[in-house]
Amino acid sequence: MGIPVAIAMNMMDIVRKNGDHLDIERLTKELGCTIVETSALRGEGTRNAAEAAIAAASGSAPKYLRFSDEVEAALKAIKKEAGNKIAGPSERFLAVKIFERDAKIMAALNFTEQEKQRLDEIVTMCEEQLDDDSESIITNERYNYIAELKAAAVVKGQTGLTTSDKIDRIVTNRFLALPIFAAVMFLVYYIAIDSLGTIVTDFTNDTLFGEWIQPWVQEQLEAAGTEDWLVSLVVDGIIGGIGAPIGFAPQMAIVFLLLSFLEDCGYMARVAFIMDRFFRQFGMSGKSFIPLLMSSGCGVPGIMASRTIENEKDRRLTIMTTTFIPCSAKLPVIALLSGAIMGGEWYMAPLMYFVGFFAVVTSCIILKKSELFAGDPAPFVMELPPYHFPAAKNLFLHTWERVAGFLKKAGTVIFLCCVAMWFLASFGMVEGSLELVEETEQSFMAVIGNGLAPIFAPLGFATWQAVAAAFSGFVAKEAIVSTMAILVGLAEATEEEPDLWQAVMAMFPNAVAAFTFLVFNLLDSPCLAAISTMGQEMNSKKWTIATILFQNLYAYSVCLVMYQLGRVFVGGEAFDAGTAVAVALLVGFVYLLLRPAKKGSKNVLSVEA
Amino acid sequence: MPLLLAQPGELNKIMAVRGGGETKRFLESMGFVEGAEITVVSEFDGNLIVNVKDARVALSKVMAGKIMI
Repeated sequence: MGIPVAIAMNMMDIVRKNGDHLDIERLTKELGCTIVETSALRGEGTRNAAEAAIAAASGSAPKYLRFSDEVEAALKAIKKEAGNKIAGPSERFLAVKIFERDAKIMAALNFTEQEKQRLDEIVTMCEEQLDDDSESIITNERYNYIAELKAAAVVKGQTGLTTSDKIDRIVTNRFLALPIFAAVMFLVYYIAIDSLGTIVTDFTNDTLFGEWIQPWVQEQLEAAGTEDWLVSLVVDGIIGGIGAPIGFAPQMAIVFLLLSFLEDCGYMARVAFIMDRFFRQFGMSGKSFIPLLMSSGCGVPGIMASRTIENEKDRRLTIMTTTFIPCSAKLPVIALLSGAIMGGEWYMAPLMYFVGFFAVVTSCIILKKSELFAGDPAPFVMELPPYHFPAAKNLFLHTWERVAGFLKKAGTVIFLCCVAMWFLASFGMVEGSLELVEETEQSFMAVIGNGLAPIFAPLGFATWQAVAAAFSGFVAKEAIVSTMAILVGLAEATEEEPDLWQAVMAMFPNAVAAFTFLVFNLLDSPCLAAISTMGQEMNSKKWTIATILFQNLYAYSVCLVMYQLGRVFVGGEAFDAGTAVAVALLVGFVYLLLRPAKKGSKNVLSVEA
Repeated sequence: MPLLLAQPGELNKIMAVRGGGETKRFLESMGFVEGAEITVVSEFDGNLIVNVKDARVALSKVMAGKIMI
């Protein structure tokens, strides 16, 4: 483009480690620009590179690559034909782009029909001479030049399989790949959720908040003679409310530390490769697996991770379904409800991951059969980074970014939500005046909850407390636990406490209803933070609204079927109209899953990768 | 023959890239050009990991069928 260039030769640490040698002097001479050795991973040479760029800025443009005589002749003819329209320092760049028939450049240059036709003739003639299309000619010539340059300036220290290849032969081996993957995942969740995770969560919830902060603040406020309602707001509403989400931030940090490790060392890209064939069966590509995995930590980075999917349909499908996977904010909800239903059986959490995955698979199959998503997922082509041990600094940076995003949410959205929920639950209209109510039954929350209850009655949770909790779940899933705790007057209780379990169970008519409530909160639209991320990534209001509607409709239908059938088959109640509706919905669901697919346009790859 | 039939670990040369227009150009931009040396590193259920131009690229079965060696 006629712009001065300085080159930063990155990953030199790996070049040295492999015993390879680069003849930088020779490269500098051939390319005609400054070359600086760097290693971004270790932060070596970055300053030199910046200085070289500044120095180069006042210099001249590097030498251009000379193509074969046929192409050079064509470029010369193009320059002559296009004349003034491409004159200037970028002349050669523009001529090459015209030769490649680049649609954007051609549109920007405003050629007349006549000029376009003559330019096309020049290109077509060259294509016939070399028997290939013009873009491939340029690509091939560039690769030839690179090969020549490489032969002259690069000495490989070792030949044959690199260490990375040797690892790949084991890790992506057709027999070992899945067992290794299962073992890695088990280890991640064992560390993050079962062993280390529980210890840090218990410490922050029980000791830090339960024994130190909350009683201390209460004492201080009471000693200072603060009014009762203010003590209640600060201790029950704010600390009790935010304590729950902040309590599992350390656990979330561990999940993300481990996932960042898998991502940075290069294993995540291999997982996409391993899962590709399996995901293809229900219309997704292996690249969708990384967002799903990320979503098990938090939906926000999960949705963002879908950026690596080039194909638009595949990307939208992934964004729409990825938040069905239980994120770490849903774990306290699962713990609370499983405690309430059956005293906290261990298999509840794995079961919920399965329900989430089932929702992803079935909605993909259903959506793929609609006209909007029809067509095979884009063929899988992905460059795999070589394996390397991640730098600690990058790992902590990645983890911190994600946890900080979450803490910010806890400090703003959840904080406001807690205050609002506390207000609605503590105040009410008594005999025409606004008052601090003794019984939550008289509060605003009860009024709103009762108003919305009929909508949720078919799903089994028609009490105003449950409705209010689900309602706060639309803001943030972890708020469900704090809302329930506020409503039963056990604000300082955590999801592990049997007292709270009993009080929560009293909100539901039976165990099936409590279970349905849990599933509904797992599958409905995600928290506000995830929805706003969805809006950014979809970059379309229409799609964002469609996604929210789809998720809630899906959650509502699945839960209706679950409750109405569960009531009859587990609870032993009689068949009624509700059962009939559930059966009809189930038949419709199966039809949507099994109906023949609409034929869609064949997906093509984008060349941006 | 298509790349699908190559033995893992064996060094091959790309003879042609099929698939026309968009697909061909995409594969070329990833380094799959005529004459390039290519080695299959690993095979998993029809999908391949190959070493082409010293880069590791994962390819689906469909794409691997378009590369002739």
